[in-house]
Amino acid sequence: MTTTTPKKSPNIGAIVIITIAIGLNLVIAKMMANWSYSWFPPQASSAAPYVDDLFALETGIGSFIFFGCTGFMGWVLLFNRAGKYDESDGAPIEGNTKLEITWTIIPLVTVFLIATYSMNVNMKLQTLGPKHKYAIGTDPTVLIAKDPKADVGPIDVIARQWSWEFVYPNGVRSSELHLPVDQRVNFRLISEDVLHSFFVPAFRLKQDIIPGSIISYSLTPTKEGRFRLRDAMFSGAYFSQNQTNVVVESEATYTNWLKTAADQPLQPGLDPGRALYDRRLARGDKGWATVPPAPPPQVNDPGDPSIPHDA
Amino acid sequence: MTITNYDPRILKAPHPVPGAPDNWKRFFSFNTDAKVIGIQYIVTSLFFLLVGGLLAMIVRGELLTPPADLVDPTVYNGLYTMHGTVMLFLFLFPILNGFNNLLIPTMIGAPDMAFPKLNAAAFWLVPVFATVLMGSFFAPGGPASSGWWSYPPMSLQNPLGHFINGQFLWILAVALSGISSIMGAVNFVTTIIRMRAPGMGFFKMPIFIWTAWAAQTIQLIGLPPLTGGAVMLLFDLSFGTSFFRPEGGGDPVLFQHFFWFYSHPAVYVLVLPVFGIFSELFPVYARKPLFGYKFVAIASFGITFLSMIVWAHHMFYTGTPNWMRHIFMFTTMLIAVPTGVKVFAWLGTLWRGNLRLNTPMLFCLGGLFNFIFAGITGVMLATVPIDIHVGNTAFVVAHFHYVIFNTIGLGVFAGIYHWFPKFTGRMYYEGLGKVHFVLTFIGATLNWLPLHWAGLLGMPRRVASYDPEFAIWNVLGSIGAFMLGVASIPFILNMVSSWARGPQAPPNPWRAIGLEWLLPSPPPAENFQDDIPTVINEPYGYGLGRPLVEDEEFYVRRSQEA
Amino acid sequence: MTGINPDVQLNHTPGHVKHDGHNMTGFVIFLCSESVIFLAFFAGYAVLKLTAPQWLPDGVDGLEVRMPLINSVVLVSSSFVAYGAELYLHARKLWRFRAVWLLTMAMGSYFIYGQYVEWSELSFSLSSGVFGGLFYLLTGFHGLHVITGVLLMGLMLVRSFKPGNYDNGEMGVASVSLFWHFVDVIWILLFLLIYVWQ
Repeated sequence: MTTTTPKKSPNIGAIVIITIAIGLNLVIAKMMANWSYSWFPPQASSAAPYVDDLFALETGIGSFIFFGCTGFMGWVLLFNRAGKYDESDGAPIEGNTKLEITWTIIPLVTVFLIATYSMNVNMKLQTLGPKHKYAIGTDPTVLIAKDPKADVGPIDVIARQWSWEFVYPNGVRSSELHLPVDQRVNFRLISEDVLHSFFVPAFRLKQDIIPGSIISYSLTPTKEGRFRLRDAMFSGAYFSQNQTNVVVESEATYTNWLKTAADQPLQPGLDPGRALYDRRLARGDKGWATVPPAPPPQVNDPGDPSIPHDA
Repeated sequence: MTITNYDPRILKAPHPVPGAPDNWKRFFSFNTDAKVIGIQYIVTSLFFLLVGGLLAMIVRGELLTPPADLVDPTVYNGLYTMHGTVMLFLFLFPILNGFNNLLIPTMIGAPDMAFPKLNAAAFWLVPVFATVLMGSFFAPGGPASSGWWSYPPMSLQNPLGHFINGQFLWILAVALSGISSIMGAVNFVTTIIRMRAPGMGFFKMPIFIWTAWAAQTIQLIGLPPLTGGAVMLLFDLSFGTSFFRPEGGGDPVLFQHFFWFYSHPAVYVLVLPVFGIFSELFPVYARKPLFGYKFVAIASFGITFLSMIVWAHHMFYTGTPNWMRHIFMFTTMLIAVPTGVKVFAWLGTLWRGNLRLNTPMLFCLGGLFNFIFAGITGVMLATVPIDIHVGNTAFVVAHFHYVIFNTIGLGVFAGIYHWFPKFTGRMYYEGLGKVHFVLTFIGATLNWLPLHWAGLLGMPRRVASYDPEFAIWNVLGSIGAFMLGVASIPFILNMVSSWARGPQAPPNPWRAIGLEWLLPSPPPAENFQDDIPTVINEPYGYGLGRPLVEDEEFYVRRSQEA
Repeated sequence: MTGINPDVQLNHTPGHVKHDGHNMTGFVIFLCSESVIFLAFFAGYAVLKLTAPQWLPDGVDGLEVRMPLINSVVLVSSSFVAYGAELYLHARKLWRFRAVWLLTMAMGSYFIYGQYVEWSELSFSLSSGVFGGLFYLLTGFHGLHVITGVLLMGLMLVRSFKPGNYDNGEMGVASVSLFWHFVDVIWILLFLLIYVWQ
């Protein structure tokens, strides 16, 4: 017995609503992506636009997924709620293999594309250089060749519990990191004790500093200003205070600073942990155990922590 | 049916009987009944949730204002370290083992675990290492204060030079916790493989069993390297070796590999059972089959396998070369796929369901909502250039708390409310449950959503003080945290008074489909005893009019008359 | 105390689930987990050997291989001896089982003694840099497993005198034997890693 089942006419209402919803979602996703740029500090390095663009892309895609899924949940909560004494069952749908395969394949392709694109972005950053282990007590700087693409440096970045010291090629030592704008600078990251991290939010860059290793790291600042450099790897009692400033200035100002600093006598540099530790000792060394701070670095320019920072 | 005369057989029964005197004695003894052990684990871990929560309140109190003015910075460091350690090892892992104990035997129709004595021993290790860990607060120099990761060389500094110090006790406690977990894992996996009811093939198991199996497999493979790394750290700390000490030629980054090789899969150990809870509860409260059961089941082991090869995404900016960063970025993003399969399955389960919004369902919905958000920030963190900026900032703290509390925590609460009637024999108070949900959801969102922006702006994590531009985000976060503290009050009130004198629970108050709901509330010792039902259909047959087991009415009546 | 009508027709025969017989499954799962900790240590050894600025401590050129090789032969052969003991047990020739089992224990003990002798003759200690720490950690951890194995074998030996001990099977001896083979395989890998790859 053959019967022709009448072809179900497409549910126009549903298609319209879904199209509008998707369209609205796309608009909101784009708005979120644009808004995400304002969630960052100002862009102060050549890496920053890449990072911010990638984040905006992921914010857009993420917003689309989030609002899509939660909008769906909202719809269900509005229209599929059981009445107070309604104990009946819902629609007895066990699955839909085609749909399940689709929602396995599409995310698979999507994450693969995002990962490939991100890998390319990461390679464009061109910041990370070689890392060499050295025997403590020997001079690590001989192990690392200067970054051939860098115009400035190598500047030694020495991290301690709890201070920063910067040593310039001409021998100048400083507590604040002065850099000329728009020139690629190469650093040699060195730690004298425990793990630290070289983090400048305005640059969007971070690299841990590992005791027993020397790491070559390069970047190009693109905006003049005073930007925070924070230690981002937990390093002990006064780790929160282990911050200093990166001063990005014009080439002329930078060269001038280098010359002036070279003439200044060495003095104790920025040592934020020391004051707190001394206060602790004055109160009878109360508190849980900590190593004493490293002696302050002897620098030509101790910087001025009272000047406010831009980001 | 109230018990008015105490039949000696009831009094001697290992399982608790509502209304019987001396119930409490069962919970303080070396009791081998999995249902007692399960409750022992859950109550112990909820106590430590409060301890960890108290530590969190102090941390958030400090972070309410930019300067470090509440406690000494060294004290702050110890407190946040112990907050993380307590929450992971004394709340999360034990409570999930508690769920395993209650649910695995009953859901598969087994009388008990494969090795009941080993089961009890695994539980009783918890108070032991809890004492060691809490005792470390009184060690000379204070407790471990290098973060719950205990990265060397920081964790090896031992400023006061004592042999027994906070870090030493921390390592000891974590090692004991690992031993307890492996004992549990061997038990759970053996039970699932060998003691399922007749007719229950792998693809007739409830999803909670799949996810518990997947999670415990991770424990078996992942815990040993952590133990190895911890032993090496201990030797460096106390016996003069140099595995991780640069002065002796060691490599601090090697510890990070050992540590994260376990600790990344560990987060899947934590989240998989909660995925299982969601998969169990959505069908019940939407009165619909789980959408795509087979895909969801297989995805559990997909997550297990992938979780073993993503660990270095915690090390993108530490000491790894670019090629390593790229490999782990790919594998980490891949893990979004089986996870997405589950999320879409839950959404599919809700679609055209007949939703009942009681407390367990609200917690599940809240957990799912938060998890979608957390998953997206997870993909952002998997992206190397983005992670280089936001790694080790408040963004990471926000992301993982969104997973651990806003998803896993809510899922745990959902499971507690859902199975409370079954295993205590009492109904909880629904009104208080809803209050708990509202306070928790709002508090949790307020606590961690703002911190994402603090991280993007460059606020590091683990700091006791911060630059003033981060103040607004931290004030919001701290308000949320205090709200979470307050939210514990309706929860504790509900649990205590319901268990003591709540209305008696029927065998199946939610009209759910599952072997555990064919048992009385609470189930007797050895569950189905000598008459284990034969499973004839897949689970979650809501609205399909098919029985789960042969002679279902017989078992239903049996559970009601017991 | 149920009020079920005994005349109701049931379609099922009451199902039963085995209460025991899971020991071997559990033990195998445990051994798989144990093996991962050794693999983790091996990985650590390889990484540090390849990347440490100074691998061997001052004054140390390498390890002597002859004595450890003899010890290894004894240990690995003892696995075959243990297997022989198992065959005797299976045939219920208890006295022969006990004799050969005791021989296995003796060979294992000889290995421990040989390890101790080797340790006492070495010129470096646990704190002699990366290599010193790893060498003692790996061989010590393995040695602990050998000692545990010998003790467990002793327990099995004592139990073999209990009448009716093997009525329900030889699961205990089978498990300990499996553990012993595991310890042997680990040693082979260790030997290749530490003594051969120098």
